[in-house]
Amino acid sequence: MLKRLVFLLLILPMACVDPYEVEVPEGEQLLTVEGIISTGPGPHAITLSRSATYGSIFEGLIRPVTLATVVVRDNEGNITFLTEGVDNLKGSYFTPANFRAQVGKSYALQIRTAEGKVYTSTPERVAAVPAIQSLNIRTVTVPTEGSAVPKSGIQLLVELRDPADENNFYYWRNGPAVYILETRPDLYTPRPTPQNPDKRPQPKDCCVQCFRYEASNNQSLFVVNDDNFNGLSTRIPASFIADDGIRFVNKFRMDLKQYSISLGAYRFLRMVKQQAEISGSIFDPPPANLRGNMISLDNPDEVVLGYFMAGGETTRRIYVDKNDLTFKQNRAIIPDDCRVISGAFIDPPADWKP
Amino acid sequence: MKKIFLFIFLFFGLTAVWSQTPAVKREVVGRDIGQLKGIKISGRITDEITAEALVGATVRIPELNLTRITDANGSFEFEVSRAEYTLEFRYVGYTTKIYPITAVGEGRLTIRMLQEDFTLDDVIIYGSDPEKNIRSTNMGAVTLSVNTMRELPPFMGEIDIVRSLATLPGVSQVGEASSGLNVRGGGVDQNLIQFAGAPIYNPSHMFGLFTAFNADMVNDVTLYKAVVPSRFGGRSSAILDIIPKAGSVDKWGGDLMASNFSGKLSLNGPLIKDKVSIIGGFRISYINWLLQSLSNTTLNNSKANFYDGNLVISAPLTENNEFTYSYYTSYDDFAFASDTTISWQNNAHSLQWKSKLSEKLKMETLGFYSLYEYGIFNQSGLNNFEINSDIKDMGGKTFLNYTLSPTQSFTFGAEYKQVAIQPGELVPTGTSEDVLPKKVQNEAGREMAAHFQHELEIGEKIGLSYGLRYDLYQYLGARTVRTYQEGTPVSDGSAIGETNYGEKELIQTYDGLAPRASFRYSFSKASSVKLGYNKMYQFIHLISNTATIAPSDVWKLSDGFLKPQIADQFSLGYYNNFKGNIFETSVEVYYKDLQNVVEYKDGANLILQNHIETELIPAKGQSYGLELYVKKNLGILTGWISYTYSRSLRRVITPFEEENINNGTWYASNFDKPHDLTLIGNYKVSTNTSISATFAYSTGRPVTFPEAKFDFSGNNLAYFKDRNQQRLPDFHRLDFSVNFKLKGEGKFFDGDWTFSVLNVYGRKNPFSIFFDDAPQQPPQAFRLALLGIPLPSLSYAISF
Repeated sequence: MLKRLVFLLLILPMACVDPYEVEVPEGEQLLTVEGIISTGPGPHAITLSRSATYGSIFEGLIRPVTLATVVVRDNEGNITFLTEGVDNLKGSYFTPANFRAQVGKSYALQIRTAEGKVYTSTPERVAAVPAIQSLNIRTVTVPTEGSAVPKSGIQLLVELRDPADENNFYYWRNGPAVYILETRPDLYTPRPTPQNPDKRPQPKDCCVQCFRYEASNNQSLFVVNDDNFNGLSTRIPASFIADDGIRFVNKFRMDLKQYSISLGAYRFLRMVKQQAEISGSIFDPPPANLRGNMISLDNPDEVVLGYFMAGGETTRRIYVDKNDLTFKQNRAIIPDDCRVISGAFIDPPADWKP
Repeated sequence: MKKIFLFIFLFFGLTAVWSQTPAVKREVVGRDIGQLKGIKISGRITDEITAEALVGATVRIPELNLTRITDANGSFEFEVSRAEYTLEFRYVGYTTKIYPITAVGEGRLTIRMLQEDFTLDDVIIYGSDPEKNIRSTNMGAVTLSVNTMRELPPFMGEIDIVRSLATLPGVSQVGEASSGLNVRGGGVDQNLIQFAGAPIYNPSHMFGLFTAFNADMVNDVTLYKAVVPSRFGGRSSAILDIIPKAGSVDKWGGDLMASNFSGKLSLNGPLIKDKVSIIGGFRISYINWLLQSLSNTTLNNSKANFYDGNLVISAPLTENNEFTYSYYTSYDDFAFASDTTISWQNNAHSLQWKSKLSEKLKMETLGFYSLYEYGIFNQSGLNNFEINSDIKDMGGKTFLNYTLSPTQSFTFGAEYKQVAIQPGELVPTGTSEDVLPKKVQNEAGREMAAHFQHELEIGEKIGLSYGLRYDLYQYLGARTVRTYQEGTPVSDGSAIGETNYGEKELIQTYDGLAPRASFRYSFSKASSVKLGYNKMYQFIHLISNTATIAPSDVWKLSDGFLKPQIADQFSLGYYNNFKGNIFETSVEVYYKDLQNVVEYKDGANLILQNHIETELIPAKGQSYGLELYVKKNLGILTGWISYTYSRSLRRVITPFEEENINNGTWYASNFDKPHDLTLIGNYKVSTNTSISATFAYSTGRPVTFPEAKFDFSGNNLAYFKDRNQQRLPDFHRLDFSVNFKLKGEGKFFDGDWTFSVLNVYGRKNPFSIFFDDAPQQPPQAFRLALLGIPLPSLSYAISF
C-alpha cells in the first residue's frame, strides 16, 4: 500500500500519452517513389503511389499509380524498361529477372505517368558492398507497459569488414523467411452448427508440422554509416524479428540482404528512420522535410516524395533454432491442421538445410 | 529636549499586540498644555528585529489627507491641530500599522514595524525602495527576492527560481519540462545565467522539472530584460544574475527541508566571529531510491538522480574590503527504461573582491572558473560507448563606480573570458573493438570587453543612463577549417579544401560597439515614463534539435561560418504606483531585431559533427510585444497579474532556394506564444497560515503538422512542408499551495508545512503532439502531457 502511495506521488506516472484530435491540413496527392535496384539477382521493384491526407480514412490503403512508363537509365545510356505487376502488384514495376546493376555505374529512374507527366531521379552511383562475415542473433526484450510479459524478438547482428578507403553507407532489408509451423490438430473444435452441434474437440489426424513462408517485413529501418568503424571489423544490429509466439517454436530461416547505398539515400533513410521512431518525447527532433531525389521535369516546384536507390547487394542466410533464444513468448496454440494456415506447406523448401 | 523626555517611547512593546488585535486603544500624545494648533509630531520608524531605520516608509493621516515619507534616518515630522487622528504607517513588505492617537501636545513616536513575512526571515522582501520601479532609470530590471518567490505555490515542494521568473511579463518557458527561459522572444541560450558571477550553462535538474539552484542558498535574482547595464554582455536577450546568500557572522544556524521528492540541508555561521562567515547547502533527490523500490519493470529500469551543493565564504576583512568565495555544483543523471544514461554536471567557482576605495569610489573585481560537463552513456552490452562533452569558462572582470554627486555616477570596467569547448568525444567502453573512438575538434575563443556607464538625474523629473560596451571576440585554434566551393550550399560535398590552424592561432575576429541608453521622465513620485535602447552581441550558440537544454545539444562558438548574434532592442514603458505604493502597475512595449540566429537544416545531424556548419543556416529574427503588469504589494492579499502579447518570428533567406525555410517568409519561432497571462495571489488567512495560487494561460506553441502521408518501406510516413504552421492547444494550469507555520515546542516542531498541488484540475497540457501509425490501429495523433494529473507534494522545513 505504501508503495502504491509512493508510486502515486512519483513524477514519472504523471506524464501520459493519449490520443488526441487535431485538424491536419488537407493533403496533396503527391507522387511517391520507393525502390532499390541492386547488384543482386532480379527482378528489382520500384513502387509508385500517391500520398493522402494524414490521418485520413484511406489510411493503410495503398493508392498505386498504375499504367506509368518506368525506365532505368545508366550512365552509358542503356535503358531498361520496367513492367508493371498485375493484381495486387499494380503500381509496382519490375526489372527483367536477369537485370543486375553494376558496381561503379550510375543509374537514374525516369517515369512518365498515364497523365503524361514526366519525372526523373538524380543519378545514383552503385558502390561495392563487403560480404557479411557472419550473422548472429541476440534476444531482445522490450518492457511493455500494462503487461507482465515484455515484448520480445531477435536482433540479427551482422559482422562485416568495412573497407578503409571510402565512406560507406549500409542498409539492411529482411528477405523472405520460412519457418516450421507447429499446430495442434488434436484440439480442432469447429464452430457448433445445427448439423454438428458438438462443442468438444474433434481431432484431425494431420498435420502438426508445416513450413510456412513469410513475406519480408521491413518496418524497422536499419541503416548506418561507417564513421564509427571505418576500416574495422564490426558487429552491427541489422534486423529485428518480433517473436509472435509462432515463429520461433522450432526453426526459423531468413535471408538478410545487405546493401551499400549512396550518401543521399543514407540521409533520406536516416530521416525516415528518425521520423518513424518519433515518440513525442522531449528529445524528439523537430519534424524534418523529407526531400528525396526525384524531380518533376514539367514543374520544378512539384514535390515528389520518396527515394530511388541503387546499390551493391549481398545476402546471407541464417537458421534460428528455438534454443538460440534466451527469452521466448508463450507459444501460441493454433487448434487446426497446419496446412490450412496461409502460406504453409507440408514439404520443406528444396534448399532447407538447417 | 524636556518635552521629548516627557514622551518616552509610548508604543514600545505594543507592536505585538497590535498585529494581532485590531481594536487598538487610542493613545494620547503630548503633554496637555492647552495648545490648539501647530502641534509638532515627529517620529522614527525602525525595523522591529534589526532596529534599522526604514527609509521611504509612508506615514499618513487620512483625516487631514497628509502624507509624509521617512527620510534617510527613518524620521518623519508633521504639524497638526489638537484632535483625534488615525495614523497609518506603511512600508513595502511590512505589516501596515494603524495607530489611533489624540494629539494634545508636541511629541515624538518610535514606531517599530514588523516584516510582513510571517516566517520572520532576515531577508528584505521587496527591496528597500517601494518606488524603485518608478524612480530607477534602468528599464526592465526585475529583482525577485527569495521571499517573494516563497509566496508562489512551490513546484514539488521547492521554490523554483526559473519558474518564478516565468510568471513575470515578457518571460516564458516552452513547456512544462523546459530548462531556461525565453525572454522577450529570445532563445534559452540568449540569456546569460550567472551564479555569483560565474556563468552556468544548464540551470536545471531532470530536464527542467526542477531548477538547479537551491533557493535556501540564494539571496535574490535580478533579470535584466530590456536595457542591460553595460557591464553585462555576451548574450543577446537577457541577463539573469543570481546572488547567493551570505552566512551569519554572529551565530550558527541552518535550514532543513524534506519533501516527498527531495531533501535539503544548509548550515551557516561564523568561521571567525564577526569577521568570516560560511554557508553551505546540499540538496539531493531520492526519486531514484523510490524508483528502485517499485515492481514495475519500466520504472525499475529507470533512474533519475540529482543533487546540488553550495558553499559561500564571506570575509569582510577590513571595513572597506570584502572577499566572497562561492562554489556551486549540480549533478544529474537520468535513464528512462533503457541502457542509455544521460548525465550532466555544473561546477562554478568565483572569488569576488569588493572594495570601498573612498567615500565616492567603489571597486568590484571578480574571477571565475566554471565547468559544464555532459555525457551520454550506452551500456547495452553491444557497442558500448560514451560520448563526453564539456565547456570551460575562465575569466575575470572588474569595474569601478564613482559617485560624483548624489545625482551622478560613473561606472567603467573591463572583462576578459576564455572559453574552451570539447563538443564531443566518443569513447568505446565495450570489451571488443567494434566502435571507433571519435573526437570532434575542440573549440577555443576569447571574449574581451571594456565598458562605461554614466547615470545622472537632472532635477527631480529627468533621469538618464547611457553606456557603451566594446566587445572583442577571437576564435582560436588549434583547428582544421574547411573551405567550401562558392556558389553552392555549404555541405560535405561542397568542401574543397582545409586549412590547419595551430594552437592559439587566431582564426576569426569579431568586434562591435554595444550602446545602451535609457531615459526617464517622472510625472510625479508615483508615475514615470521610460525609454530605452539596447544592443548586445553573443558569440556562443546553442545548437539544439530539441525543445529543452539536453546533453544531445551542442554549444558552438562563433567562427567564420557562424557569425555572432546581434540584438537591437527598443523599449518604452509607463509606470504608475497607486495608494502609497500598494499597487504597482506598468505598461511596456518593445521591438527587438535579431541577426544571425541559428536555424538547422532539415534532418540535421548535430551529434559528433566535426564541421557542423554543414547542418546550420543563419536566420533573422524579430520580436515585439506589449506587457501589462499590476502588482499588489501590501495587505492580506498580495500578488500580481501579468499579461503579455508578443510575437517572436524567424526568417531564413539564403542564396540557395532549396535551403530557404518556408520559402523565405517570416514564421513563428518555436517559443512564439502570443498571449501569455499569469495571475498570482497570496492570501494570509492568519498569522501562521497562508494560501497561494497561480494561474497561467498561454497560446499553444507552434508545431509542424504533416501535410500528407506516404508509404515507404512499410512505414506510413508524414510529409512536412512548412515549419511551425500549426499550434498546440492553449496551455492553462492552476497551482495551489497552503503554508502552515507550526508553532510547536522545540526546534523540530517549529517549522513550516507546505502542501501544494500542481495542475489542480488535471489539465493535460500537451508538451507535444505527434503522429503515429501503429500497425493494426487507425492512424492517430497523440498528445504527450508531462504533467497530466494533479500532482500533490508535501514538505516540511525548519530553521535552527
